Amino acid sequence: MGCFYSKKSKRKSGEKEEHTSTGETSNAVPLGNNTDEAPKQYSWDKREKVDLSHYTLKELKDVTVGRLPGTLNGEQFVIQDCENCNIFVLDHSATITIDDCVNCRIVLGPVKGSVFFRDCKDIKCVVACQQFRTRDCQKMDVFLCCATQPIIESSTGMKFGCFQYFYPELAFHFKDAGLSIFNNNWSNIHDFTPVSGENNWSLLPEASSVLDFVPTPDPESDFKSVRISADPSRSIVPLTKGGRRKESEESCLFVFFAGEYTTANARKLIDEAVAKGFVLIQTKEVLMRPEDVKRVFQNSEDDLVEWITKGPVVALELNGDGVVEACRNIANEVFSATKVFVSDNKNTSTRDVDNFFNFADMQMGF
Amino acid sequence: MGLLSILRRLKQSPDHEVRLLLLGLDNAGKTTLLKQLAAEDISHITPTQGFNIKSVQASGFKLNVWDIGGQRKIRPYWRSYFDNTDVLIYVIDSSDRKRFDETSLELADLLEEEKLAGVPLLIFANKQDLMTASPASVLAESLNLHTIRDRMWQVQACSALTAEGVQDGMTWVCRNIKFRKK
Repeated sequence: MGCFYSKKSKRKSGEKEEHTSTGETSNAVPLGNNTDEAPKQYSWDKREKVDLSHYTLKELKDVTVGRLPGTLNGEQFVIQDCENCNIFVLDHSATITIDDCVNCRIVLGPVKGSVFFRDCKDIKCVVACQQFRTRDCQKMDVFLCCATQPIIESSTGMKFGCFQYFYPELAFHFKDAGLSIFNNNWSNIHDFTPVSGENNWSLLPEASSVLDFVPTPDPESDFKSVRISADPSRSIVPLTKGGRRKESEESCLFVFFAGEYTTANARKLIDEAVAKGFVLIQTKEVLMRPEDVKRVFQNSEDDLVEWITKGPVVALELNGDGVVEACRNIANEVFSATKVFVSDNKNTSTRDVDNFFNFADMQMGF
Repeated sequence: MGLLSILRRLKQSPDHEVRLLLLGLDNAGKTTLLKQLAAEDISHITPTQGFNIKSVQASGFKLNVWDIGGQRKIRPYWRSYFDNTDVLIYVIDSSDRKRFDETSLELADLLEEEKLAGVPLLIFANKQDLMTASPASVLAESLNLHTIRDRMWQVQACSALTAEGVQDGMTWVCRNIKFRKK
């Protein structure tokens, strides 16, 4: 492949007269045995020819390769048959398949659709996507931001940790791919082929550092111009504890309502709380309807209803002894001019957390 | 074309309950297609673990669309959903060249199934919005569809994501529901 690519002309109706719309000697292929329709043109028929090799990395060995920001612009990307490569796809894309790769270190910028690994082995990667899928893979370490529940099939030795990465354009790439940095289901994997008595997947040790798995690109490579950082505090996606066991029984629900500075405010809260020794468990960015407000916030003020119509809310669960009081203080001191919801007290805060995140899970399931 | 307008067209059909079955490999775009037909948000779709179903009814007519998970491990369960299918809609990721053989084999197996004998077949050559998508004509040729003798069939290029081509496919479905050889 990798050559210029043309589309055959379309035709319909098996037994009737044959048409070709261009001068080329195309084999007139019937598209049905019961149509009277004239051939139709769609937008993809009118597309310009492209060099597909720009969207493919294949049969490479012992090299550092990838794509720089602005070179993919939301198109599809294909990776196959690579060995001992460092692959940096630092742009947003539509969907990525990775086939038959061995001993590679891979960074995949935000993917609007699915990332699908097949027949891969010994992979260490950083991935942000809408859907994460594997089949017939072995020994993969994945630092993941996934908007939906990740799935694996016929795969073993799969380990997962929270996405931790930064480069200057990454925040824009998340937006371009339609992914929220607050919707990350990295720690609850669905296994289509569980084996009794064994675990095909597990979580990476909490203190795992991305650079130990996926080093930054060689300074002499094409990627020297990209200021990558794997410092956890700079990660575009907030680090969440996810499904790991909580250290304290006390959690607090903190919700920001839609506004210009929602993301910045959420990050500020995380920084303040983490500095005080609290832990971020999970986050969600989700639209609420008026009927959800009462069920989720229970005895709260009615004026919350008007706030949820302005756009999606960003909710955070923070954990630690004394976290509710600390959050209420932060809300008063730092966010006094911002519309927020904070759990009232530590006796009811667990219920707040459960109510909200159960609602969010239902909302975002099918 | 939404589910309700398909339902309205069914008044031409002698049956009062119509069942559409969506099958295809995992990651083909079946659930995106189903959500698109139901005019629902398609920006947050999860890999299907069991099945999804959409039902609409009006004026005594009922339409059920079944979307079944396509992972290799759960394809043996497809047969649980064959009964009373009026049209089989088979969805293919036109951009996943590596799996053309696999989807071709699965489709061939389906066409041998007794419970699906005579059932009209619509093949959506999906993901035409992607760079490496094979055109419908190329897919039709490689799937050897011209050898099908026992049912009505059609290949329709589409993008479930943008909805382009979906209505044309569903128009064919509506026209061919009555051709189910019972």
